[in-house]
Amino acid sequence: MIRTLLWLLGGVVLGGIIHIVVILSLPTLSASAAWDRVAALGENSAPTILPAAKSGEPNPLRLDPELAYAVCRLDLRKGPGSVTGTLPQAYWSVAVYGRAGTVIYATTNRDGIGTNLDLGVFNPGQTRLLAEQQLDIAEGLLIVEAKEDDLVVVVRLAPPHPEMRARFEKALTTLRCGNIAT
Amino acid sequence: MRFLVNIGAMLVVALVVGFGLSWYALTDGRLFGAIAIGPWQAWKDVGTPSPDPYTRAFIARSGSLELGISEGIQFVATTDSDNRRLDRGCRYRIDGNTPAARFWTLVPVAPDNGAPIAREDGPTDFHSARLSRAGDGSVALYVSKTLAPQNWLEITGEGPFDLMLTLYDTASFSGTTSEITALPAIIREACI
Repeated sequence: MIRTLLWLLGGVVLGGIIHIVVILSLPTLSASAAWDRVAALGENSAPTILPAAKSGEPNPLRLDPELAYAVCRLDLRKGPGSVTGTLPQAYWSVAVYGRAGTVIYATTNRDGIGTNLDLGVFNPGQTRLLAEQQLDIAEGLLIVEAKEDDLVVVVRLAPPHPEMRARFEKALTTLRCGNIAT
Repeated sequence: MRFLVNIGAMLVVALVVGFGLSWYALTDGRLFGAIAIGPWQAWKDVGTPSPDPYTRAFIARSGSLELGISEGIQFVATTDSDNRRLDRGCRYRIDGNTPAARFWTLVPVAPDNGAPIAREDGPTDFHSARLSRAGDGSVALYVSKTLAPQNWLEITGEGPFDLMLTLYDTASFSGTTSEITALPAIIREACI
């Protein structure tokens, strides 16, 4: 009897080990499902506007139907990444995602950056060059350091009313994403 | 023979505990980094640059575009305040005050693919800036297939659904102000 209980206890311990292995290996085994979906959109100098979430249509990214989304892919191997442009006077926010789907940096326009978005993303090597003033960048650039080279930047813009959505999506297409020439 | 039975029992226990616990941690997750306020649930580290391993695994598995910590926070309810699964056949009143945020949205979605389930030619969601409110600023929202008073969102289809409450630009969880302590209650009123 005692022996069987010891075996079962061994099972619980082994189960705990399996649990830890599963949890720790999940993010490394697969890039996040969100990354796969967004990365499939490809790299472009203009952002991709995600289709609005509509009733009855699958919404795997769980987008908010009230918001308009612009997505840029950045590859820092070609130089520091940048996303720039002017956005309408409304709530907007910008988030930088890594491969694992984690948010490396995010901010909203509450933080005194008004209607101009001027974001520069640098990997550690480029940050060092920046500190040594070997990179020429525009003044007022919002500097974000990322440890990875493959990134996705998502700009969320909230039209105050659904009627204004088309105009706001058009404003998002005027954003420019790409690499800062070095 | 006894030895083989013991080995078998141990393996069964190990697999059930190992994968069962992992599944629980990533779906319910209340013991592992998810927070629950009434029927509402959120993973509070989901928008931070270096989340804990459970949140990291949750992000990898969920496949949704999470909000950064400074952008806001999203709560999901799968049950009403009495812990019964949300059902499209019932009328729900969502009642109470929401935490301070620049604005918030409330979207009823299908649990499997996140598709909004409101009537196709109507609004898909509630937006905090477009509601009728009581004199004290509180709101009563109705989600149902049948006609309801005040703020009503007509839903369609059969089966369970989830409610997605997203607070934008909320100061909560950023460490500067108090945390979210209360969210609206979800009250089941009547079922067809």
